[in-house]
Amino acid sequence: MLDSLVFLIAGTLAAATPLLFAALGETVVEKAGVLNLSIEGMMAVGAATAFTVATLTGSHVSGFAIAALASALLSTVFAILVLFFLANHVAAGLAVGILGLGLSALIGKNHEGQTISPLSDLDMGWLSELPLLGKILFSHDPMLYLGIVMIFLVWWLLSHSKLGLIIRAVGESPDAASAIGYPVILIRFLAILFGGAMAGIGGAYLVLSYTPLWAEGLVAGRGWIVVALVVFGMWRPLRIALGAYLFGAVSLLELFIQGMGFSIPSQLMSAMPYIVTIVILVIMSRNPRLIQLNHPASLGQSWHRNA
Amino acid sequence: MKKLNRILPGALLGLAATLSLGTTQAQDVFKIGYIYPSPAADVGWAHELDEGRRAVEEHFGDKVESVIVENIPDGPDAARIMNQMAAQGVDMMMLGSFGYMNDGLKTAKRYPDIDFIHASGYKTADNFGNFLTRNHESAYVAGMAAGYVTETGNIGMVASYAIPEVIGIINAFTLGAQSNNPDISVSIVWLNSWFDPSKAQESARSLIAQQSDVIFSIYQDTPSVVTVAEEEGVYVVNTSSDMKPYAPTHLLASMKVSWGDYFIEQVQASMDDSFTGGSFWGGMADNAVSVESISEDLSAEQRASLDETIKAISSGEFNPFTGPIIDQDGEELLAEGETLSDADLLSISWLVQGIETRLPK
Repeated sequence: MLDSLVFLIAGTLAAATPLLFAALGETVVEKAGVLNLSIEGMMAVGAATAFTVATLTGSHVSGFAIAALASALLSTVFAILVLFFLANHVAAGLAVGILGLGLSALIGKNHEGQTISPLSDLDMGWLSELPLLGKILFSHDPMLYLGIVMIFLVWWLLSHSKLGLIIRAVGESPDAASAIGYPVILIRFLAILFGGAMAGIGGAYLVLSYTPLWAEGLVAGRGWIVVALVVFGMWRPLRIALGAYLFGAVSLLELFIQGMGFSIPSQLMSAMPYIVTIVILVIMSRNPRLIQLNHPASLGQSWHRNA
Repeated sequence: MKKLNRILPGALLGLAATLSLGTTQAQDVFKIGYIYPSPAADVGWAHELDEGRRAVEEHFGDKVESVIVENIPDGPDAARIMNQMAAQGVDMMMLGSFGYMNDGLKTAKRYPDIDFIHASGYKTADNFGNFLTRNHESAYVAGMAAGYVTETGNIGMVASYAIPEVIGIINAFTLGAQSNNPDISVSIVWLNSWFDPSKAQESARSLIAQQSDVIFSIYQDTPSVVTVAEEEGVYVVNTSSDMKPYAPTHLLASMKVSWGDYFIEQVQASMDDSFTGGSFWGGMADNAVSVESISEDLSAEQRASLDETIKAISSGEFNPFTGPIIDQDGEELLAEGETLSDADLLSISWLVQGIETRLPK
């Protein structure tokens, strides 16, 4: 029984972390008014790069760092398309996402199906040795805790800092922001880079900690869940985090219930995480005023100076 | 127009040159095209197909030439690759995925001079044969090993979809475990996905948390489940390839498939113009399936009983599906001494008693 509890809670934290990084990055991107749908591809590139680098150098830290760089690099392709060539956000995002999936296969080619030793857990002394609580909360790898820190960092950045105010202004009305002298294109560009790097870290977490192996297609649709989480989480970091943990919890519960032998059709169980997460987030955000307040008004619209 | 006139004969000449080059080459060496659905990694389905190719090259040496295309999804891409290979003048094609069946058959009709062998399908033609393995034979033996080592009496299985082949393996494994440990219970997690290593790993963890101390990884192309078992310190059995390197201390056994003998036989037949298509369902007797890397933790007697069963299955004395077999609802499906026919096994849709999880319906 206790084993199960540890599995469920500790597992949830780990399952949600890759989603969390990517979703927080995408929140900043969308708050700046850009819709980047290429998360799946960016996570895949991050995962493949992280695995390759960590295998070759033996260093997980450089794995994460170069994964962030690689995905940010891929996101510049998207940024150039939508910011300078004014391409449609949706089409450019899809194209770059597919490009990313292909690139990830190429990058990881020599390591297909290989495993790696996972990122080691943080030893927090007596905290980690606490009965039950130690295993559930205090014996994870450092990136998982960084994920939790990022929730609050992004929340503070967007709603309490001047930079956040500028990002939101650019996402609400780029014309007004530009008129008072903010470099709209530059801010959007940096937001996209940040989103790319975060997606890369999410992908890296997937292969360096959560599932320590590389195989093509390993991201398995998580990038699309991230897009849904951001929208249904109303672009608010705390809600998005809640959604990510909820998704992680229900997807583990699904496997757990199957193992217990309940006669619920497993196809329905497999759909559960998506249904539960979306239904709960939709119910939480059904207030139309809330939507008006949080939805970036110029989301997904191309903008150039003389518009 | 003048320009075109000048180019056209040149192009035609070039084309003729390549065509003639293709035919002269074909007379010298026997060209075989291989199409795999996934990259040929260190382990897994495509890896074993590629081992078959290697066996062919080793056997025939310079007489054969291989054209390999990997990671081809089912559908128009596969059809395009097949036509391209046919145009390149291959003499034979090996199609490595169930989903290539219809396109493969169409290509086979268009090119009657090329012989095809196709993995795990059910349609055949004069120049289109298919091949399958009797994985339930090795599953029974691996199940016996699981029955010996389990302390909790619970076996956890991670499976993709409930197709007949998977159901047959699950039943045979359970029957094998029950042969020496009648109280065995089995829990299954259906992934409902052909490929999601993260989900496979979480499933294994969840089964272990629920007291399974032997994990059976069914058709997971990556060592995902095997590495979790090693990490958590429980025994694990896997399919397709030998995964000993991924779980050096906790691999109980690997149910390996080997295509070498079959490929060599078919290539020889095609070279001699005696290829007839047909279905091959290879078992232990054909060296197509085997149990590898059996754990040293089994006692000498246990090991001997495994070897005896392997011998009995190989010689045809023993069929893993021999009655009495009772299904989950307590209904007797096979009476004492009866055996399951191949046709019934190919469309199996029930689970034996002792398995707690239901089929997803």
